[in-house]
Amino acid sequence: MTKMELLDLIERHTREILPGLDAHQFVASDRLVDLGANSVDRAEIAMLVQESLGLSVSRVELFKPKNIGELADFFLEKLDAA
Amino acid sequence: MPPELVVTGMGVISAIGQGKAEFSSAMLDGKAAFNVMRRPGRQRDSAYIGAEIREMAFPPGIASQTLRAASLSSQAALVVLQEAWVEARLSDVDPSRIGLVVGGSNIQQRELTQIHDGYRGRSAFLRPTYALSFMDSDLCGFCTAQFGIRGSAYTVGGASASGQLAIIQAAQAVLADQVDVCVALGALMDLSYWECQGLRALGAMGSDRYADDPALACRPFDCDHDGFIFGESCGAVVIESSESSRRRGIKPYAALRGWGVAMDGNRNPEPSLVGETRAIQSALGAALLPPAQIDYVNPHGTGSIVGDETELKALGACGLTDAYLNATKSLIGHGLSAAGTVEVIATLLQMQAGQLHPTRNLENPVDSTFNWVRNKSIDHPIENALTLSMGFGGINTALCWRRM
Repeated sequence: MTKMELLDLIERHTREILPGLDAHQFVASDRLVDLGANSVDRAEIAMLVQESLGLSVSRVELFKPKNIGELADFFLEKLDAA
Repeated sequence: MPPELVVTGMGVISAIGQGKAEFSSAMLDGKAAFNVMRRPGRQRDSAYIGAEIREMAFPPGIASQTLRAASLSSQAALVVLQEAWVEARLSDVDPSRIGLVVGGSNIQQRELTQIHDGYRGRSAFLRPTYALSFMDSDLCGFCTAQFGIRGSAYTVGGASASGQLAIIQAAQAVLADQVDVCVALGALMDLSYWECQGLRALGAMGSDRYADDPALACRPFDCDHDGFIFGESCGAVVIESSESSRRRGIKPYAALRGWGVAMDGNRNPEPSLVGETRAIQSALGAALLPPAQIDYVNPHGTGSIVGDETELKALGACGLTDAYLNATKSLIGHGLSAAGTVEVIATLLQMQAGQLHPTRNLENPVDSTFNWVRNKSIDHPIENALTLSMGFGGINTALCWRRM
């Protein structure tokens, strides 16, 4: 899976949890919190991505990525290690 | 002298209508909406009959994000609270002096079953919001966040009497000066096929006898009744003192004159003539009303063979044989946790309209000596009304209402 595909996946699940983002153009530097995601929304988005990837990571590790680009890199690393 | 308690706002949704105007007109026309239930998670090799809410219209300004994360029970709570809130002009009340009592326990079983079934064998991917939503008190969080309530909010459970218990608890919170205004919510009980099967197995839910003609299945107080028929509903009732309502210039619907709660000391579903009589008599006693002055009774009337019979005996024992009687559940089904609240709303809307709604399928009343409203509505200005609820575990509640 490429980083672009992972970003698309994150974007798709973010739109699912935050349906008000229809007009938003996603970029790698987007922070979920700036897009209006509260802590529960962020946990939901991360879980939907894990479900799509068939990959389970610990909640604590998910605190590290600071934007969706870093989140994509984080999941790419996990996929490589798996 | 304790302050006079009044109702200043109401909101309602059921299978026959959303909002008081639509609900009241459908009710007085004797409309019903029973069918084999279709909501996902209601059937499993079964064909349970019930009355389901078809579509919900949400107030403008509710974020789609809010609705996405809201269960069916939360969505229903949102629309009825909004209706009651606007009517009672609660935006003009100090939020720290507003309380919320949610009537009902284990109300979101269908949503939970859907999640359990959906994530069986892959629990690692369970949605994190499950940790919030499995608790009924999620409704307290959801509603207080939406409406900015800062006083108190909690749930009370009393099986099928939960809706009345919430009103009683709200009244007590106002009397105790914990808050100035308290909203009682009869929460939508969202049954899954498990609860339907359990209630059927227990003999409480009606049988498949009318599977081919669902409109005939729900028949409280009729000789051919054989159990209750479920119906989704939800209601909100705003309780405050008449002095508090005057400060905002609001004309109340009615005064809550008295109430009674009596336990049978019985864990089982069987009704008790003694318990029901005690609840009615304590409500009448608190209201300082002789039974002859009650001119309308909104009974619990589920369609249970022994329940209907016991309730009529209790009314007889309390001298309430002359009051008009109909059965709201014959139109909207049994809302379980919501029933007590929604039936109070039905009562106060009838009081406002000066009309009493028909009782569907009441072809041969189990006791024809009562003053039944049968197949069409009648004109009658209610002066004093009594509303009754009973629940599994031997709980009986009664509320006494007076026109203002």
